[in-house]
Amino acid sequence: MDTCGDTIRIGISLPLTGDFSQPGGEAKKGYEVWQTLINGNGGLLGRQVELVILDDASSQEQVVTDYNNLISQEQVPLLLGTFSSLLNFPASTVAENNQMVLIAPAGGSPKIFEPEPKFYFFAQQATGPNQANPFVQMVTSLPEDQRPKTAAYVTMDDPFAAPVIESMQAQLEEAGIETVYSEIYPEGTTNLQPFAAKIASAAPDLIAQGAVFEDGVSLTKSLVQIGYNPSLLFQTSAPSNGAQYVEGVGAGNENGIFYAVSWSEKSPTPGNAEFVAEYQAQNGEGLVPAEDAADAYAAAEVLAAAVEATGGCDNVAMADWLHSNPVSTILGDLSWDEIGRPQGEFLLAQWQNGSVEIVAPPAASTNGGAVIVPKPAWQ
Amino acid sequence: MEIVQILAFGILMGGVYALLSSGVTLIFGVLDVVNVAQGSFLVFSALLTWQIWDLTGIEPLLLIPVMGALMAFFGWIIYRGLVKRVVPQGPGMTVLLMFGVAIAMEGILNIAFGNKFKSVTPPYFTQSLQIGELVLPYPQLISGVMAAIVLVGLFFYLKLSWAGRALRASAQNKDGAALVGISSIKASSLAFAIGAMTAGVGGVLLIIMYPIYPATQYDWIAKLLGIIVLGGMGSIPGAVIASMILGISEAFAQAYIPQWSAAIFFGVILVVLLFRPEGLLGEKTREDVTT
Repeated sequence: MDTCGDTIRIGISLPLTGDFSQPGGEAKKGYEVWQTLINGNGGLLGRQVELVILDDASSQEQVVTDYNNLISQEQVPLLLGTFSSLLNFPASTVAENNQMVLIAPAGGSPKIFEPEPKFYFFAQQATGPNQANPFVQMVTSLPEDQRPKTAAYVTMDDPFAAPVIESMQAQLEEAGIETVYSEIYPEGTTNLQPFAAKIASAAPDLIAQGAVFEDGVSLTKSLVQIGYNPSLLFQTSAPSNGAQYVEGVGAGNENGIFYAVSWSEKSPTPGNAEFVAEYQAQNGEGLVPAEDAADAYAAAEVLAAAVEATGGCDNVAMADWLHSNPVSTILGDLSWDEIGRPQGEFLLAQWQNGSVEIVAPPAASTNGGAVIVPKPAWQ
Repeated sequence: MEIVQILAFGILMGGVYALLSSGVTLIFGVLDVVNVAQGSFLVFSALLTWQIWDLTGIEPLLLIPVMGALMAFFGWIIYRGLVKRVVPQGPGMTVLLMFGVAIAMEGILNIAFGNKFKSVTPPYFTQSLQIGELVLPYPQLISGVMAAIVLVGLFFYLKLSWAGRALRASAQNKDGAALVGISSIKASSLAFAIGAMTAGVGGVLLIIMYPIYPATQYDWIAKLLGIIVLGGMGSIPGAVIASMILGISEAFAQAYIPQWSAAIFFGVILVVLLFRPEGLLGEKTREDVTT
């Protein structure tokens, strides 16, 4: 018998309580859907999979304790990542010290890759700053009369959101779009009314916000309340929360808002339909899975591919294999460089008349690439 | 005009802070209990409001008296069932108890309402009152007005009613109050119920302004504790003044030095406490030391 054991136990720490409990809970659902499907299909290496999930309470200290316990006390042969760059950064150091592969469903901040990890893999299409690329390409390819002249940038001081906006600002300035407002606000800021007032005074054509959730809802709602409607509005993360976002900003006000995303329920990628069906079977008919659940599912697919390809739970062999082989997931094919940075491009999504359409890249587009510009008036 | 607009946002935010912090400071004033579970009380009220609104479509503001009464009863039960038994063990134990209550409530709310953001969205929740160029969002405006009504009502209740006078007497000197026939247990139960009632009212207003989920309690409790320390532990007028100072300073910091806005909020508290350790309207306290 190899080091996998009769039943393959996979150790996971997740923020099931605290600030990140909402995405953490979705990630748990994604992992559990994967567990159900893989066990139903004969298991991994023909063995049943058991998930050992601990709650890190959204704490950087607890996540380190959790992964150390999973490795030394629970002696799990495999690990899957937690949620957010903030938590995966310390988790990755534990994995590196123990030479165990850590596939992270969220955690694309450039800072994580600065120590040049050998065992950490970010299971989305690209790292944080590259989230900006599809939107920048769309903006710079707009006809001259629709192209914005001025832009305002505002972002939470978050290791994932801030690099996206910094990268976007640099690229759009290079394309000749003047910056009229640029500010960073502390993590935990949920009332963006004063920012909306300042942004409205600067009257930008384009507003880009590095948001998590409440701050994204607050800025949009504040812009509605003060009656300032930009031609283009981009936010990270917040608009991908589906009904929660629409309810938060008021139905109809989401129309025309862009965001980068890793996954779409309409995507024809292998296994996506099965994932959506099982998610709905477990969590409610008609419920569209959150992106966070899909990302967790994809991370588990990556781990499974490495185990199958290497024929066991040798984490060094798995890391070597992942550094040089692409993996097919519900997000599409993922591949990594020598320090675990994914090498693809995010999808660009836009809320269009009550539903989400993938508008770029062309190969993944769900509506032929049609965009709504300028953004429709607030409701 | 921009400055007036930001000032208006700050005052409205200060009004909300005042309402939410008044209950915490009242409970401390009478019981010497720092109710760190007030944030979870707020979230409980907010999520219950969402549930009723979602099921019935009722105008959420009509739920203010309902949620106020419900949370007052809930607070009374928490005091009688838990807090009363632990108070004799000292303030440290009551903080631990209330922290435990907060954590337990977060878990129960996660199970009962799901771990997703909920918003109550009456027609006016994205609308504003426009006075010239000045924009006053209705949710904040209504919350500010409601906060003023509740606080003025609380002020007169504490000032003029027998129960209010009993509460103040108990807050000033428990033993003296007991000598003139004021039951410490009854006064404490009432204070805890009133404190929870303010959370009930605040929860209704909060979910019209912000998306709420169980862990939102952490966002609020740190600020509320900062406010009551700045105002003077146990002083409701102090909490109101501190709320206004912090609401306005936070709004200006967010507008002009946003990276420092969190530091400004707590920096103001630090500076005031350097010169007035008892807070703005707090009474100087003395702790006898025995050797």
